[in-house]
Amino acid sequence: MGYLPRLLLLLHIALASGGAQADLVVVTSQKSGIEYLSRQEVVNLYMGRLRTNTAGNTATPLDLAVDTPERVEFYRLLVNKEAADIKAYWSRLVFSGGARPPQSAENIDELIRMISQTPGLVGYLPRKQLDNRLKVIYEFSVSP
Amino acid sequence: MPGNTSRTSAAQTGQKWLSRALCASFVLTTLQLIAPADAVAEPGTIQDRFEFSGFGTLGIARSDTNDARFVRDQTQPRGIGKSPNAKLDSLLGLQAYFRATDSLELVAQAISRYGAQDDFRPELSWAFAKYSITPNLTLRGGRMGTEFYMLADSRHVGYSYLTVRPQVDFFGALAFHHVDGADLTGTVALGDGIVKGKVFAGRANEVTPIGSEFFSLRGNPMAGGYLDYQQGNWQWRATFAQMTFKHDLPRPVADLRAALLATGIASAASAAEQIALEDTRSRFYSVGGVYDRGPLQVQAMLSRIRHESASYQDSQSGYVLAGYRLGQVTPFGGYSWTRSKAKEVSSGLPNFVPAFAQINDGLAGSLARVHTDQKTYTLGARWDFRQNMALKSQLDMIRGKPDSIFLYPTSNPGAFDGKLNIFSLALDFVF
Repeated sequence: MGYLPRLLLLLHIALASGGAQADLVVVTSQKSGIEYLSRQEVVNLYMGRLRTNTAGNTATPLDLAVDTPERVEFYRLLVNKEAADIKAYWSRLVFSGGARPPQSAENIDELIRMISQTPGLVGYLPRKQLDNRLKVIYEFSVSP
Repeated sequence: MPGNTSRTSAAQTGQKWLSRALCASFVLTTLQLIAPADAVAEPGTIQDRFEFSGFGTLGIARSDTNDARFVRDQTQPRGIGKSPNAKLDSLLGLQAYFRATDSLELVAQAISRYGAQDDFRPELSWAFAKYSITPNLTLRGGRMGTEFYMLADSRHVGYSYLTVRPQVDFFGALAFHHVDGADLTGTVALGDGIVKGKVFAGRANEVTPIGSEFFSLRGNPMAGGYLDYQQGNWQWRATFAQMTFKHDLPRPVADLRAALLATGIASAASAAEQIALEDTRSRFYSVGGVYDRGPLQVQAMLSRIRHESASYQDSQSGYVLAGYRLGQVTPFGGYSWTRSKAKEVSSGLPNFVPAFAQINDGLAGSLARVHTDQKTYTLGARWDFRQNMALKSQLDMIRGKPDSIFLYPTSNPGAFDGKLNIFSLALDFVF
């Protein structure tokens, strides 16, 4: 096996194993009307493509701060993209006058507080930091 | 001559726009200062409603010949040659954004880049209000980017794409960047994909350099739209746009038309009519596809341009570009091409009359000036060496016919052999 294929294989193993450890869940407020999002709906929401789900609910995505490990992990799991790819993606939209990137919470505590106070806001966090004010609307671990 | 805008009035207009942009930024800054300084960054606070951001490129490029001067697009009056030059790709853009209400947003954006006036004069590139009728239906009014082709409205944002500059064979013929008007964009889910459609109409407000003259596009009506389908890793788009010219070409074409008409001969008058631009239309058709899956991205586009006037040649262009990210480095490779077809225009004037021979030479020259027939092989790499910055290096090998000169504002026909190699380095950043 040549150098390049071996490198690609290693990269894929690294990315795949990183995903198994994270156990991130997508959440919203218990008071929110959103019960479930498909993987594609989460992608559409966080990539600024569509803000309504098939049930007709409007959702607003909330991100974590740029340098948090959860954010890096979230985009790897969701679209297999690095932070720089995501930044390049939003630069195109922002500077062409299109959609704006999601607002960010400083940390997980702030994210939980903001989501619990604003029905319709959607965020992500490690499962172990779930709080009874939140409900899980998408799980990475059970999806293909 | 209505199409012949003098440098002075163009300069005044530039300054007028600059002062308007400065006024707008002053107002926005003042509004930000009166916002409570200790406001917590939560959705809804005034501080959070303002966003200032920017993008830029420091680029340097050179070619291996002085026989044809390479430009990034038709708005650059003087191209580069064998000595390394920073004007081709270097630029700076600033954006002020204000979220007035949940459904109303205001955006102003200015860009300083090497353009039509032969300098880096800043230009107000966007200034529009965006109103969301529903979360998935938006109306914009003001000055906005022209999306004649997919990705065309972000072609100055180097950080957002792989290459040093958008493929010149494909985007280089576009001499306009923004439109004053309105557009309506709608998005609906269809199966597990998304359909997006946009229609726009407005007027151009730019000039483009031709030799030492300006060709005015000001007031030219523009209209168009696209249909886009995105599903999984795929995105497809078909685009249509058209522009109606309101001004004729400046000298030397203006002088040539006058000379043809002055002969009083019907066939010459008819040739003058064929090369007139005023009230003729140009139509732009394109289809594009993007495949984006994790570290792999591939894009391909095809376009066709049809001009009613014989002053421009109908053309077809296309490109394929692919990149694969390996850690911080993304090597990429691409192939692009553009070909145009000459239109038959004859003055019917006999060459044995010296004055007529001169007119015929002028006519042949003006028809040859707009010909293109070339392909380009691109190789390069993008290195995301730190947050919000990317360093790129790229080699473009342009292989064309010696008469493929439309994309080069100055060339030495006869000396130019159609081959150009362009070496480029660029540092792209966003803030």
